[in-house]
Amino acid sequence: MLSIKNLTASINGTPVLKGINLEIKAGEIHAIMGPNGSGKSTLGKVLAGHPSYEVTGGEVLFEGKNLFDLEPDARARAGIFMGFQHPIEVPGVSNASFLRLAYNKKAEAEGREELDPLEFDDFIHEKIKLVAMKEEFLDRSLNEGFSGGEKKRNEILQMAVLEPKLAILDELDSGLDIDALRVLGEAVNNLQQPDRALLIITHFPRILETIQPQFVHVLSGGRILKSAGKELALELEDRGYDWVLEEAAAGGAR
Amino acid sequence: MTSAVVGSNLLGDLLSRPRPAEWASLREAAERRLAGRELPTTSDEDWKYTDLKALAELSSGPALKAAVDISSYLLPEMVGTRQVFVNGHHAPHASCSSAVPAGVRFFPMSTASEACHALGTVGEGAARDLFEELNTARFVDGAVILVPKNLKVALPLHLLFITKAEAPTVVFPRVLIVLERGAELELVEEHHGEGAYLSCPVVEIRVAEGAILHHERVQREDPEAFHLGTLKAEVAKGGQYHSRTLTFGARLSRQQPWVRLAEGAGTTLDGLALLDGHQVADTHSFILHAEPHGTSHQLHKCIVDGRARAIFNGQIRVAPYAQGTDAKQQSRNLLLSESARVDTKPQLEIDADDVKCSHGATVGALDPEELFYLQSRGLNADDARNLLTYGFAADVLTHIPVASLRRTLRHLVMARTQADSLGDLS
Repeated sequence: MLSIKNLTASINGTPVLKGINLEIKAGEIHAIMGPNGSGKSTLGKVLAGHPSYEVTGGEVLFEGKNLFDLEPDARARAGIFMGFQHPIEVPGVSNASFLRLAYNKKAEAEGREELDPLEFDDFIHEKIKLVAMKEEFLDRSLNEGFSGGEKKRNEILQMAVLEPKLAILDELDSGLDIDALRVLGEAVNNLQQPDRALLIITHFPRILETIQPQFVHVLSGGRILKSAGKELALELEDRGYDWVLEEAAAGGAR
Repeated sequence: MTSAVVGSNLLGDLLSRPRPAEWASLREAAERRLAGRELPTTSDEDWKYTDLKALAELSSGPALKAAVDISSYLLPEMVGTRQVFVNGHHAPHASCSSAVPAGVRFFPMSTASEACHALGTVGEGAARDLFEELNTARFVDGAVILVPKNLKVALPLHLLFITKAEAPTVVFPRVLIVLERGAELELVEEHHGEGAYLSCPVVEIRVAEGAILHHERVQREDPEAFHLGTLKAEVAKGGQYHSRTLTFGARLSRQQPWVRLAEGAGTTLDGLALLDGHQVADTHSFILHAEPHGTSHQLHKCIVDGRARAIFNGQIRVAPYAQGTDAKQQSRNLLLSESARVDTKPQLEIDADDVKCSHGATVGALDPEELFYLQSRGLNADDARNLLTYGFAADVLTHIPVASLRRTLRHLVMARTQADSLGDLS
């Protein structure tokens, strides 16, 4: 589904990604872990098309197509979704009408029927149950005055509405208490299907207890230093990141 | 100053209009103060950014009675609670007060001048603008609203000022609102028009102890018109005055709200201006915290496109005795073109030491992070821009209590921000 080859990227002329290689197939769940400043959030933003980052080399294919030929919105309509670490507040636009707009833009792109406000009302009421969101949050302005946890809930609600092929979730657990984390983790699991894939970006292994990855990668200094199965997450929980960095230093660049 | 000489023709024309018989002493006093005054120029600090030269070229014929079709201005919540004025004259056939709750007095000044004893008394001691003086000297008629003690008026009231200028003219809408102790009212005041004209409304408001007034003000004058308005409100102990001024029309407009807060009184003075072409919209506001524990919140937003220009001058004065004052002011401005311009200036004068005062001003384009967020949800760049622009403006409309007005204005904002292709966002 997603094939990243030797990807390099920089921000304001400073290299952040220094040669990333990663293959994600349909049905798989991958976790990217790493210390702060390792470049893991950058990877998510580059894949989603954030304008501040410049891709300086390598290639990324999404379902065989060059991702960098697509604007961020075209990537979204092609089936890529990024759950933001810090979702943006948009005053004056109700959450419900934004969700409907996003849904209909995707439906239009896929040649499916768009939903009118009444039809969408029924649709969204099923979806908010999935993330245990209170109804009042539909009428409020998009993310405005939402707590950190409510914003994350809203991100997963958007994911449930858009049903992406590849969801990249950046630090989903930040700002969430244990209960909310479990609810959202289970919602994400419910959305996962054999033809979809997940890329979980996280500093803490906690979230991986609910959303269990088959592959765990440690990113540091803009490179993937180590890849293994889900047992690596447990090891990182026990031992931190230093040993991976030391091991990589001893073994030289991979 | 040559421009002042040209302008003085306009003033001379206006003062040569016959002086209406009622409130003679009020009018004489205004005329005395007007003697020797001239149209302000950009060398006056207060009018530095707002050039009235074009106004000086406006000739002023008489403001005649005229028939208008008001059907497009009617709002369902207020069909039976409206007073309509056309070219400054009351329009009895267009007005309807059948649903005005008992006890509330809502009528044209011309029918009951004895009920208007508060006229000309609000904001005594405050500076009087030239256009306010002209209004006092020559207004023909106006609306009075009196709400008795403890009456909470269930239906909103609708005040419509319409100008129909076959030939260039000047009109003087006038309003007096008195809320007695504990009274509550929602009022919608709208200004519409056709043609080249100057409208100089003056609104006086007294909110007594514990009374609450919600006031929506909509300015949709003709694109060739001028609108130079003054509002003065005195809010007594524990009273509240909340207003929202929405500026869409006129080639040049200025709003001058002045609010005095007594002990524990509160005000919200929000504003939105949506400008393009060569429009100029100026807001000079003054909030006086005269006594302790008053609260004022002011959010002023402008969206400026084309070669338009917005001016905001927000003065807040906290008197020495006004401890515990809580004043918050924000001026936020969105520039949509290279040639658009905003001049924003907060002016806080604080003479008490135990106060909470904050102010902030932003001028800029849309935030790229916000655009990226919307694009990452599948909206193309144009749709994302239009949605953010719409949201920036619609934010001010969210809490308008009259649903039909809120809807009408949202649709107007959607059309002006090219967000109407995005479906129903309300």
